[in-house]
Amino acid sequence: MKNKIKYPIILYIALLFLISSVKGICQNNVSEINVLTLENRLMFGNYLYKEHDYLRAINEFHDYLRFENNDTIRFKAADCFHKMGRLDEAADNYKGLFFNSTLMSEARLAYIKSKFDERQFASFRNLVVQKTNFAEKYTHEIFRLKNITYLLDNTFLPERNEFIESFPQNYRTDIENFYNRKLHPEYKSPVYASILSAIIPGAGKIYTGNIGDGITSLLFTGVLSYLSYTNFDNDHKTRAWVFTGLAGYFYAGNIYGSAASAHIYNADVNFTYKSDLEQFLNSVNYFLPEFGFLK
Amino acid sequence: MISSISAQYNLEYQYNLAERLFTAGDYYDAITEYKRLIFFDSEKKYSYEANFKIGQSYKAGAKLDESIKYFSIALQNSNERELEFNTKIEIIKVNILRRTTLRAFELLKDLESSFRTTEKRNKITYWKGWTYIFQNEWALASIEFQKLDNCKELINICEFVEGEKYSVLFAKLISYILPGSGQFYTGEYLSGTMSLAWNFLLGYYSINAFVEERVFDGIVISNLLWFRFYRGNYQNAEKFAKNKNNKLYNKQLEYLQKNFIGDKP
Amino acid sequence: MKRILILILLCNVGLYAQTDWERWEAKEVSYQSNAAENHEHEYVSGGSGFILSALKGTYSFFISDLDGDNCPFSPTCSGFFIQSVQKTNIITGALMFADRFVRDSNLFKSRNQYKLVIHNHLYDPVENYLLKTESVKFNFEK
Repeated sequence: MKNKIKYPIILYIALLFLISSVKGICQNNVSEINVLTLENRLMFGNYLYKEHDYLRAINEFHDYLRFENNDTIRFKAADCFHKMGRLDEAADNYKGLFFNSTLMSEARLAYIKSKFDERQFASFRNLVVQKTNFAEKYTHEIFRLKNITYLLDNTFLPERNEFIESFPQNYRTDIENFYNRKLHPEYKSPVYASILSAIIPGAGKIYTGNIGDGITSLLFTGVLSYLSYTNFDNDHKTRAWVFTGLAGYFYAGNIYGSAASAHIYNADVNFTYKSDLEQFLNSVNYFLPEFGFLK
Repeated sequence: MISSISAQYNLEYQYNLAERLFTAGDYYDAITEYKRLIFFDSEKKYSYEANFKIGQSYKAGAKLDESIKYFSIALQNSNERELEFNTKIEIIKVNILRRTTLRAFELLKDLESSFRTTEKRNKITYWKGWTYIFQNEWALASIEFQKLDNCKELINICEFVEGEKYSVLFAKLISYILPGSGQFYTGEYLSGTMSLAWNFLLGYYSINAFVEERVFDGIVISNLLWFRFYRGNYQNAEKFAKNKNNKLYNKQLEYLQKNFIGDKP
Repeated sequence: MKRILILILLCNVGLYAQTDWERWEAKEVSYQSNAAENHEHEYVSGGSGFILSALKGTYSFFISDLDGDNCPFSPTCSGFFIQSVQKTNIITGALMFADRFVRDSNLFKSRNQYKLVIHNHLYDPVENYLLKTESVKFNFEK
């Protein structure tokens, strides 16, 4: 009798179990494919982020964040703005993670970097010194960034040893190299170039490396002076004065040009220094850590 | 069974959404939705269509390099000869618009060697004609269009341009012989007269100096002044002819873009 | 050369997918080409100094429009003179012009000295000769 009752119950339970599990499978598959579920939006956003399609990624992230709180995704959205060069929005988004967040320190560091990227180094240094919303965890990194600004803008350089020691051991020679280039740039003096050209026309241009221009200058003033000399000699007064005037004009122009060419030379030194430095800093990511959660 | 049906339904829904945006001309968002479709389409059912549409969207936004990139991805995903042909034609059209006509010709040559039916051949010839137009070779374009039926309008335009345009070589040549004449040929009478005057005057002075055995003066005047204006003269003749031709081409191209009904890049 | 490579490298790093970093709308590609434009006149910004512009106008009409494309530089020598006078004063401008004239006469122009090329002409802007290291240009930006 007992067995008779049990049998249908077992059957019933088994059936229930079967139905529920089939239903479960169905639901699972449907949600996987429904492209607009939160998880799928997130997956798609992450894919766009990897493809550097940042504006579209932000949209996906923001829609996700309306329903779910996720600090990593908030950080990623801020990073999208940062990567697209929209620094103000990036900074604002990082700020949202300053408190009660697992990525507090990282957000503060990234915020500092976004301020660094604004390239207003004086106010950047103030920000670092004031230590408001400071990421203690990344103190070294932040002060290193501050040191880097001294290499990039036109203020004084801090004391050598202390400066260089703030960088990792294996990069110190590179940094010292840049430090020296910044401290003693291989400039050519415009004044010296002008004086040279005043003594021998064109010499200042040869000094700044423009040999062809220097020789042409010398020829110009030389030939014109010679012409004025022979004309005076032959008593062609008017012609002689015209040539004298021209010789004087080109002589003065040559002095001016030599100074200008020294300035161009120096600008070139600056430009090469800056682009070498930027290339180096980019290659080491400004000595900042790469965050695993962004991958 | 049930689950696969709803999966299809969802992707189809996504495809329709993207299509709606595309039709509405909202190309930026259309691209987003096509990309989403591709991302979730694990069976690659929409790989061809979606990438093709992304290519078209970028083209509609005048982003031609991106457009070619996505048409090429579509091409890799096309499993029918017909689709392959159409996609390649789209790539050729973008190359025409981008004025990378050499690349367009290369692709057309490729197509010619792999598609041999008359219908396809005609299409290839038609786009060859357009490529020639964008290369400013209107006579060659006309020859291509003449191989086809129903291209009367295009032939007329090409022949009109061919008839109206100035010969750059001729303008330059006659200016070599008589300074200013090339300018007259292209309708720049004032510049032509001035060129003629300068060359006449300075030529006279130079030759006169040589005749009077003032060799130094002669060399200076002819080298520094006369030859300068002589060179300027035939350079101007060439420049005017080229500029006027360019205006003519642009006018016809504008007409083609705005008023021509029929297949165009 | 090295500098150009660096510039290209730097640009490329930033260029990835940049097309879509801003929303864009539909836009028709014009069939028309804008080749064969004359670049001469874009450098003379009129308005400052009646005599100067009158001088330039007369010079263009009677001489520079007729004597061919002789100047390998951009801006041309006359354009350079006008601009240098506009940016400084008549005396400095004249000195700058003398220097330019001499550099123009130098037959061996090194691409190391003139690194940028615009419309097939060596780019040699007035800003490089104002005796200010900061104003020297390394690209075409204003």
